[in-house]
Amino acid sequence: MASDSSPANFNNGPSSPDGSFSSPIPNTSSPAHRRRRGRRQAPTPSSAAATPPPNPSRFANSGSTPTPSRSTKRGRRPDTSPTPAAAATPSSTDDFPPPSSDGGDDMEEATPTFVWGTNISVQDVKNAIQMFIKHFRDAQELSNDIYGEGKYTRMIHRVLEVEGEWIDVDAHDVFNYDSDLYNKMMRYPLEVLAIFDIVLMDIVSLINPLFDKHVQVRIHNLKSSTSMRNLNPSDIEKMVSLKGMVIRCSSIIPEIREAVFRCIVCGYHSDPIVVDRGRITEPTACLKQECMAKNSMTLVHNRCRFADKQIVRLQETPDEIPEGGTPHTVSLLMHDKLVDAGKPGDRVEVTGIYRAMSVRVGPTQRTTYIDCLHIKKNDKSRMTAEDPMEVDKGSQRVDDDVQFDEEKVEELKELSKQPDIYEKLTRSLAPNIWELDDVKKGLLCQLFGGNALVLPSGASFRGDINILLVGDPGTSKSQLLQYIHKLAPRGIYTSGRGSSAVGLTAYVAKDPETGETVLESGALVLSDRGICCIDEFDKMSDNARSMLHEVMEQQTVSIAKAGIIASLNARTSVLACANPSGSRYNPRLSVIDNIHLPPTLLSRFDLIYLILDKADEQTDRRLAKHIVSLHFEDTEIAEHDVIDLATLTAYVSYARKNIHPKLSDEAAEELTRGYVEMRKRGNFPGSSKKVITATPRQIESLIRLSEALARIRFSEWVEMRDVTEAFRLLEVAMQQSATDHSTGTIDMDLITTGVSASERMRRESVLSAARNIIMDKLQLGGPSVRLLELLEELKKQSSGSEIHLHDLRTAVATLASEGFVVLHGDSVKRI
Amino acid sequence: MGGPPYDCMANPLGAVRLTFEKAIGLGSETVTHPSAFEGKDWGALELFRHFLFQESGLSKVPILNPKTLRWVQHNSLVRYRGMIQDMLGNEFYVGAYRDDGSSWRTNKFTDFSQYPMQSPSDTCIWERRLLYCVPVPGQSSWAEPSCDMDPNWSPQRREKRRRMDGEDSDPMDLVPEDEVKSSPITKKMREDGLPSTSPEPMDLKTASSSSGMSTVQFVDKDNLPCLVKIYDSPESDLKLNDVFEFIGVLTFDSELAVEKDDNELSNSFYDDALVHMPPNKVPRLHCIVHRKLAVHDFLPGSPIMEPKPHLVKEIREALFRHLTAVLGNDGVAAHFMLLHLLSKVHTRVDDVAIGKLSLNLIGLSKESVSVFGTRLTQTFKSLLPCTKCLPLTLEYLNTASLAPKKDYQTNRLIPGVLQLPEGSHLMVDETQLESGSLNSIGIENTKILKNLIEFQKVEYDFQFYKVEMAADIQLLIFSDGKSNIVPADVIVPFQPSALESSEIPVAEALEAWRWYLATVKSLPHSIGSEMQKVVEDDLVAARQADRSLGSQDFSRWLTMARLISSSLGETCLSLEHWQMVKELERLRNERLK
Repeated sequence: MASDSSPANFNNGPSSPDGSFSSPIPNTSSPAHRRRRGRRQAPTPSSAAATPPPNPSRFANSGSTPTPSRSTKRGRRPDTSPTPAAAATPSSTDDFPPPSSDGGDDMEEATPTFVWGTNISVQDVKNAIQMFIKHFRDAQELSNDIYGEGKYTRMIHRVLEVEGEWIDVDAHDVFNYDSDLYNKMMRYPLEVLAIFDIVLMDIVSLINPLFDKHVQVRIHNLKSSTSMRNLNPSDIEKMVSLKGMVIRCSSIIPEIREAVFRCIVCGYHSDPIVVDRGRITEPTACLKQECMAKNSMTLVHNRCRFADKQIVRLQETPDEIPEGGTPHTVSLLMHDKLVDAGKPGDRVEVTGIYRAMSVRVGPTQRTTYIDCLHIKKNDKSRMTAEDPMEVDKGSQRVDDDVQFDEEKVEELKELSKQPDIYEKLTRSLAPNIWELDDVKKGLLCQLFGGNALVLPSGASFRGDINILLVGDPGTSKSQLLQYIHKLAPRGIYTSGRGSSAVGLTAYVAKDPETGETVLESGALVLSDRGICCIDEFDKMSDNARSMLHEVMEQQTVSIAKAGIIASLNARTSVLACANPSGSRYNPRLSVIDNIHLPPTLLSRFDLIYLILDKADEQTDRRLAKHIVSLHFEDTEIAEHDVIDLATLTAYVSYARKNIHPKLSDEAAEELTRGYVEMRKRGNFPGSSKKVITATPRQIESLIRLSEALARIRFSEWVEMRDVTEAFRLLEVAMQQSATDHSTGTIDMDLITTGVSASERMRRESVLSAARNIIMDKLQLGGPSVRLLELLEELKKQSSGSEIHLHDLRTAVATLASEGFVVLHGDSVKRI
Repeated sequence: MGGPPYDCMANPLGAVRLTFEKAIGLGSETVTHPSAFEGKDWGALELFRHFLFQESGLSKVPILNPKTLRWVQHNSLVRYRGMIQDMLGNEFYVGAYRDDGSSWRTNKFTDFSQYPMQSPSDTCIWERRLLYCVPVPGQSSWAEPSCDMDPNWSPQRREKRRRMDGEDSDPMDLVPEDEVKSSPITKKMREDGLPSTSPEPMDLKTASSSSGMSTVQFVDKDNLPCLVKIYDSPESDLKLNDVFEFIGVLTFDSELAVEKDDNELSNSFYDDALVHMPPNKVPRLHCIVHRKLAVHDFLPGSPIMEPKPHLVKEIREALFRHLTAVLGNDGVAAHFMLLHLLSKVHTRVDDVAIGKLSLNLIGLSKESVSVFGTRLTQTFKSLLPCTKCLPLTLEYLNTASLAPKKDYQTNRLIPGVLQLPEGSHLMVDETQLESGSLNSIGIENTKILKNLIEFQKVEYDFQFYKVEMAADIQLLIFSDGKSNIVPADVIVPFQPSALESSEIPVAEALEAWRWYLATVKSLPHSIGSEMQKVVEDDLVAARQADRSLGSQDFSRWLTMARLISSSLGETCLSLEHWQMVKELERLRNERLK
């Protein structure tokens, strides 16, 4: 049986002579098609490129030597495409003046060339492209100078000067100028781009006839980008743009572009034969008239021309993967300059033509790839290089790198206009942790951050807000931390117990292979411009904690060891949480006593929240209700009006990137007034000694907080209400953490020194009382008195205030250090 | 027409073509362009559905496994049960084309075109999804589908085939209908306007090479993976780790693999995964009908019983007695075990998986595990469709790959131990763990285990990033003290009082228990407003009394309450059940002291 004996033939049968590049959309009959195939090829004589010959066969003859079968096929083509010329002209031509007279007349006479199978006239497209290049103006150019050269004309000049090989064309520009051309380009990219190239070469040869490099057009920034998942058969041969992550790059494959053959009989060298549809047609016989030897031609490798080619695999980014799916991948074909443009791990946005190719594995299957035209690297991290926290403007890149498309930005802006956006964001932050609204507000401020500032003098003020959460176990501190870690643009989550000083900052290691000392970054350096979440802050070793001093105020990490002296940036916000030193918070002790943290470090936190588990029936009932509803309402818990995580992330990063609020005059006024007020408050009646309620660090915190609050509203100005809210936040945080439990006033001394002013005053009064009693009762060098007796005496004298034995003991100890008394066990003796 | 002119079983493609030709109106004046059928069914599905479910053809369709693979025909209808282990993306194929007689043909549900394709302009490219499926991991032997095939069927076929091998010019087809086998050259339309629905020449070719088929070497004799090609089904239908039954056309071809692809370019483009899965190792199944398998579908000859409370209670009592016996007369442990076996993730709210109830039996030594562990393993194997055991030794932790990992060299997802279908049972034996140091893999693995038990999620490693996949796995941990590596929801000190081995349950009892476990698990559950008040008051009171109680404890109680009432076949929480929860917790707490 014939079919039996020739399986291979059968398999090959369907794959047309087009070979691997068979495409469902018919090829063009216009020369454009050939040009496209040879698009990446050698500098073709510009004259050939400049005027597309009306007769396809002429071009075919000049280009290469087609096999007879091919030429007949070509000859047949125009017959099979009897596109009526009348129907051809797209409406858009009306908008344009007639083409320039040179050669234009030629065209009119000849039958108009159409893109095969369509009613797109090559000439129309050509004109449209010419118009676009010549007359396109940027919006800003339009307003400035109408008579100057257009954006792309300038670009062509520049390319010629630097001998570049391509021109980047923004598809938005094309759309804005001529949406019809844009649509054609999207639908028939192969053909339109080929024409584009021809037009470009026309212009290039007009400007500099001697320029022999082939300039290509590279389209980027399409109006819409597809998701990898949504690529479907209808996208084949269309221009697409998609985002993804490079996961694999093949080695560079040299691909033959032009082949030269030599006759082994007579030594005749053939003209270079260009690749046609992925194939080189090997001459079957020597072309020299005298020789004509059959099958004598052999390839001369070192006279052939090769181009670089690379196959890159692109994979979906995690955010595009639906639930229960695995990431999709797509192959990219990179040519020439695009080779090695992306490395594995890069997030890129590519623009290219989606193509299908038959495979030998199965004749009916098609493998697909994207013929890559343009590749743009996106930043790896979610936070971009031009972060507002970044102070030195020098490194800012001015050019595109738009991270958010307009739609998204509009959406976010719309969101920011809602009057209750602040409340809404608070609600959306860790929605499954309720209450703690003020804590969440503080965390929100931390996420948005304030503005960093560098004075010309070199002094710098950080914009990062540091927060410490102290609280009872089981009050979902860690969950908050985890949540922020997930949300933060960049962040490291560490646990205090497992972190060492070097692990947090940076350490010097010896490279095992080269023996060189290298600097390895620790968590804080790695979370530069992000949030470093440190759980179990209290369990951290003192050594490790002391490293934080520098980070939290100067925002750098300095290393001086093993021959390396370096200062690394660590512009990170610290979010720490700690347990009280006992298992529970002891409200009778101060914060310092509750958490064994050095006051120096503590004062570097802008906000210190106490999350206490109060035995409150109301809260317990809410908890019970919540859990019962979790279990019994099979429908989702109605999360009223909550912004989802993705939007929240986008909102935060957009605000951080684009909003830089400044203090308005009235806000500055309010800040000053409020600060003075705060300091005044320490001046409570009946006390001669002032209690310091606020320190300069607090005013910095206030500024940061109000900036963050303005940023939440996408407002460029810090307004009165921001300042008021900042004061409220600080007060809420401080009332919990800096309350002097004996007086009930805010007392920053509690944090900065660990002893409250009133406590200090009390101690002093005890001291002086004790001194008086001893002066009265004890003789110099007389018999000793027991402490308990002294206490009785003291209580008799100062009725009203309660004095404990240990208060007295401290007082006596102080007296002893003065050399006033000696203390032997329980007995006091005056000397 | 008397009877359908096709055989859905032996020549499904014939049926597909027939419907296609009818749909596009072949033979009539107006031919519909096949692009109208892109991503759509043209009536073939209906036909097969009718055959499978109305005419009860389903049971006749052979199940694809290493045994049946020896005689199942290329291009015949088969069914395959498996878990979706990997998704290989979409494949484009020539869905419809014009043959040289310029009539439209389709390639749907097949890899080969029947007629030579003409110019590429006359083709429609359609797409299908590729799923890599493996047999359900840890499937118990009773849950494997039995194939009640006609035993005479296969030898007969083989004989026929062998005979055909001898005289390979025999034009008679294998299909019962006497259809004339037409080679592509002599192919012509039959007079009644019906095209020849014979299998393509490829069929014959493979038939002739079928002698080589039996020598096909599998990597694993018991493990037959399958590449399933899905047509026109929404993406959200089929998810990773779902267990499905696929019914479709088998393509199993040793021929293609021989053909070495010399085109380097196309090779590197072609999905590397497919290159690593030659069709002679992995059969292809062109899926026509697929259905998701629930626990119920594993029950062989499942009697459709109404879960009546008294019946359920009876079975529950028997099962409880059995579990008590297996657990050495430890009633409390048996209670918790029963609840544990009924647990499943009902909903997820943010990160919290509600409904899970992992159990940690503590107080077990290496010796007692060898007794009770094996006994429990046996019990679970006979009760649950999918079980797995994880011996947590230091070496295992340091070497095993628990989470699946993507290998970009082969473009495949390398399965991990924890890639399990929904509702699997996993036993973790921590008693064998000795002190020592963990390497980075070990640390990663403990993290994965902890994540699994806390959130019922497994992070799949895609190297450049990780993707969290939701899981629903019942975890049972044996340990000496409370396990910190795998912190379970319930910790029960195990106190067996008897060592003698339990009696072996009769088959009927086992069947009833399987049915019970499968049915009761999926019962709905609700709470009355009065009861809700009682529960809330109790929770508040408990928290007022003991501040250390947190949301986790409450959550556990409520899960237990739900499980207790479902285990009794009831759908509404009653005070009695709630009291039982409190009593159980009291007993457990006493033991913990």
